[in-house]
Parts: sequence; structure tokens; C-alpha cells
Amino acid sequence: MRAHRTPKHRTIVLSAILALALITPASAIASKRLVIAGSTSMLPLVEKLATAYHKAYPKIPTPKVEGGQTDIGIDDVAAGRADIGDASRDPIPGVDPTGLVFSKIARDGVCVITNTANPLPNLTQETVQEIFTGDMRNWSQVPGSTLTGPIDLFDRENVSGTQDAFQNIFLGEALKISPSATQESSEGLEVNAVGADRSAIGFVSFAATLNGGVHTVDYQGIPCTLPNAKSGQYGGVRNFWMVTKKVGTSPQAIKFIDWVTKPGNLTVRKIVSSEWIAIH
Amino acid sequence: MDRDPLTAAPSRGPRRIRRWATGRTDQRVERTLGALAVATLALIGAMLVTVLVKAWPSFSNNGLSWFGPGGDIESQLRAMAESKALPGHSILYFRAWPLIWGTLLTTVSAVLIALVVSTLAAIFLTEFAPPAVRRILDPVIRLLAGVPSVIYGLIGILVIAPYIDNHWISNARKASVGYVVQLSGADVMTASLVLTVMILPIMVSISAGALASVPASWREGSLALGVNRWRTIWRVSLRTARPAIVAATVLATARALGEAVMLSMLSGGRGFAPNLLDGLTFFFEPVRPLAATILQNAEGLTIPALAHTIYAIGAVLLISAAMLSLAGWAAKQQFKRYGVRA
Repeated sequence: MRAHRTPKHRTIVLSAILALALITPASAIASKRLVIAGSTSMLPLVEKLATAYHKAYPKIPTPKVEGGQTDIGIDDVAAGRADIGDASRDPIPGVDPTGLVFSKIARDGVCVITNTANPLPNLTQETVQEIFTGDMRNWSQVPGSTLTGPIDLFDRENVSGTQDAFQNIFLGEALKISPSATQESSEGLEVNAVGADRSAIGFVSFAATLNGGVHTVDYQGIPCTLPNAKSGQYGGVRNFWMVTKKVGTSPQAIKFIDWVTKPGNLTVRKIVSSEWIAIH
Repeated sequence: MDRDPLTAAPSRGPRRIRRWATGRTDQRVERTLGALAVATLALIGAMLVTVLVKAWPSFSNNGLSWFGPGGDIESQLRAMAESKALPGHSILYFRAWPLIWGTLLTTVSAVLIALVVSTLAAIFLTEFAPPAVRRILDPVIRLLAGVPSVIYGLIGILVIAPYIDNHWISNARKASVGYVVQLSGADVMTASLVLTVMILPIMVSISAGALASVPASWREGSLALGVNRWRTIWRVSLRTARPAIVAATVLATARALGEAVMLSMLSGGRGFAPNLLDGLTFFFEPVRPLAATILQNAEGLTIPALAHTIYAIGAVLLISAAMLSLAGWAAKQQFKRYGVRA
């Protein structure tokens, strides 16, 4: 056999070029993308919408979605740093910069759940706060409970939108969920954990309560159901808004919001109702 | 006529062309393989650099205290997720000790238990098991080594954790630590035991292979000198198999260190440092190892402060894995003289 030995340096140079070609990112092509910034709570929803938007209009690049905070998003839009701001709280006249348009895109809400062996009839906001902040640690202290013994708290992980919704809707700014609570990393695991533990209490999105296995607790006397959440009777909900400037908004941004809020847009409806409440 | 196996195949065309093609093929193969090898190295290098660059803000902000204890780690992660710094601290403030302690507890206990059990199991398989039993156990163990970790996680979360919660943890025990931490059956003990089961098959498999490759003459020599069977196993077979057992341990430790899915489901999902002074309750306290923390916070990668912290955790895992391989290599050196290769 004739073994043709290639000079070593040639192999190495060739190899390095090939290696470089392999690791150069393919998406280094610059193009004008819509920039959406704001509420981290809305991040999972808006990211899904952005991907679906690009799928519906392949010629338009996927909008760039950034997290941060509602207030940062609103300021960014006002200052022109972002095309659209995401706000997970209602507009506050006098506090928010003027000259902005808020478009409601969806509702977000959570249900409080307990084990089926503990069919708690109702919870007031005060009781929910006392239980989840760890002030109330025994079921015998909870009005309406037939159970006794320590309360097992089930939280979601810190970056979860459901956790953020619960925190903001039920507890507000000042209170925090007791850090001793067990964190579950998905809705399914949360339902499973509460379903397996008699003395458990936790919270999930509406979609996760539909399959049963746990008891859904009424909040302030109103059952946690989708119709009640849509009508606004159920208290455990908040609105998701997209914020733009009144004048000078790019046509692209307007087109995106129109697509999201168009009545009867099945793609959007399907995405929203997977974890949130569709309103259009 | 010499028949080169490469060119002996049914051929068309004159011999000269075939020779030319063969020669070039060698060259091309050499270059392609070289390029692939360099590309792999370059990718690993690029990965390391990316992780370290993205992790740097977290390390430079916290200094060496990054590895130390301090405050509640869940509040720190939550502050980053909400982009609101804790009062009096920077947004990147992070003290990873509970996660590191959790990783050490689960990994070290699982590897130690697995080391003892797997060595005994390997001895049984090679020295005592009847051939019929061996024929069944060998493929079963290989099959177990390939079970995805999420399956172990599911079994644990559906069966083991509720069982421990309902039968082993009394309400009094729950109440005794209720102000600090919640006991739910998913805890350091459950996680370590399931982790042990996960890494056992690969350790048994490698150790049994090494024991089987100890030259029969060595053992026969020992037996002929009047040394009994157990002592022969202990002083001859096991000693010879030591490099392979070290290799198996390193491999298993790496798997335990990097395990994220099962541990995030079964370890209790809370960054807490179990306290040995709590007595028996210690075993029921939750932990959350480093890899599981990355998994649980991955949704927050678009939040800059959280992303830096997640990459920092990743960097610690990467460097630990590298040091582990190095330590394994160093440990093997002194056993090599009379050892069999893994």
C-alpha cells in the first residue's frame, strides 16, 4: 500500500478552516426585526406568538422578544427603544408616560388547588395570603377545612409565569411566597404533587385544572372556571397588554398587534388558551 | 498476482485509474478525519469559552463568596427573575453553597453506596454466579444502564416520594422544621437512593468486565499456594481490577454530577442546605443540586442577571467534570503496574 503522507501543517490548516465553518452561526445575517420588550410574565406567551407570526408570514423575520419588567417595557416604547412594550398590569393614568396605546391581548389567571381529600369550599384573599406566606401552618387554622395537620405548600419555580401570576394577583408587591415551599418545575408535576399529598395546597393555570385529579378551590366565593375568568367575575386574573406609541408606531408593529388581536384568529387562540385565557 | 483487498473487488476500467483513486482516497480520508477531530476539539474549546465569558459577570461580582453560604438562595434567584435587586445587594448577588452542598451530598453518597454494592455484585457475577444466571443478568444490567433518567424520575415522583411522605414522615417531624423548610417526601435520601440505582448498572458492568479479564493463571496460582477463595478474590482479582474500578467510579460520578432531570423531580426542588445537626430529619430535607438548578431556571435565560448566574453554575459543573477526569487519571497511575485495563 502506498501511504500518501500529507504534510502535517496542511492537514491542520484545512481542518481548522473546516472547523471554523462548522461553528460560524448561520443567523449572522442582519435584518430589521420588530423589538418587543417588557414583562417577564408575558415572555413565554409573546415568544410563542412571535414564532407563530413568523410561521404565518415567512417573509417577516421573527420579532425579537426581551424580558425585563413591565415598567421598563413601557419606558422603552415611550423612548423609542422598543416597538412594542409588554405590560402585565393595567395602565395607571398619571404614572405611565402619555401618548401610549394599550391593547389588551389576553388574560392570565391561576386557580388554587388542594387534594381531593380536602375539598376546601372557599378561600378569601386574606386566607390565601396567610397560607402562602407561611403565617398559617396548620389546616386546623383554615376556615372551612376538615383536615388537621401541617399545610404542605407547593410553589412553582422562580422563572415560571404561573408563579409570577400568583405572586402578583394574590399576594401583591409586599408579600412573598414562603421560601420553605416545595418548587415543582411544571404544571403536571404540581398537579401530581398536590394530588398525592392530602395536606397539600398549590396553584396552577386554568388549563391544568381541566383534567381533574385535584380539588379547585373557590376564591372570594367565585368558582375558578374559564367562563367566570372571561366575564371578569373571578378575582384571580390579570390582563396582558401590548403597548405602542399613539403616533409614529411602525406599520410592522401595528400589523403584529392586529394579527394578535384579530377576532377568530385560530392560531393565536390556540396558543393563548394553552396556558392563558383567550379574549379575542 | 498480489490482491490488495481494497482493489480486489469486481472492477471496471484500467488498473492505473484504480491505483490513482486509491491513493487519493487515503489522503482524503486522512484530511476528513483530521478535520472532524479538530472540529470536535474546537467545539469543546468554543463551548468552554462561551460558558466562561457568559459566567464571568456572576463570578466577578461575587468573588470567591460565590461558593460560600449566605442568605436564602431562592430569594436571590427570585430577585434575578423579577429583575429587582435584593435590598442592599447587587442584582447578581448569589451564594451557591446550598446548591454545592446538595450536589456533594447526592453525588458522594450515591457513588459510595454504588461502589460497595457494584463491587460485590461484580464479584458475584464473575466468581460465584452459575453460567445460566450470568447469561440472564449480563444483558439485563446492560439494558438497565441505558434507561433514560426521566423514567427513574417518574417512578420516584409517582411511587417513592408519596410513600415516604405518607409513611415515614410524621406530622410532628414536619412541624418541627416547618418554619425553615417543608418536608414532602422528595428529599436528599430519595434523590441519593434513586441516583445510586441509576449509576449502579454501568459500575457493575465495567467492574465485572475487569474482574473477568484477570488472567486465570494468577488466580489459580494463588489458589495453588493454599490461599482460600475469598482471599484470592480480595488480594488478586480485585487488586488487579483496581484501575477499571476507578474508571467506573469516575464515569459514574460524572453521570451523577451531571444528572438534572431525575434530580430536579426528586430532590425536593428547593435550594436548601440540609443540616446534619437535625438528626434523622436530615435525610428528609430537600436539596437542589447544581445541574437541576440550571434545568429549573432555564426559562429565565433571557433575563441577563439570571443568565449569568446559570452560566456560572454551568461553568462550575464543567470544571468539576474536567477535574474529576484528571483525578481519575491520577488515581489510576499507581494501580497500573499490576492492573488490567478497563
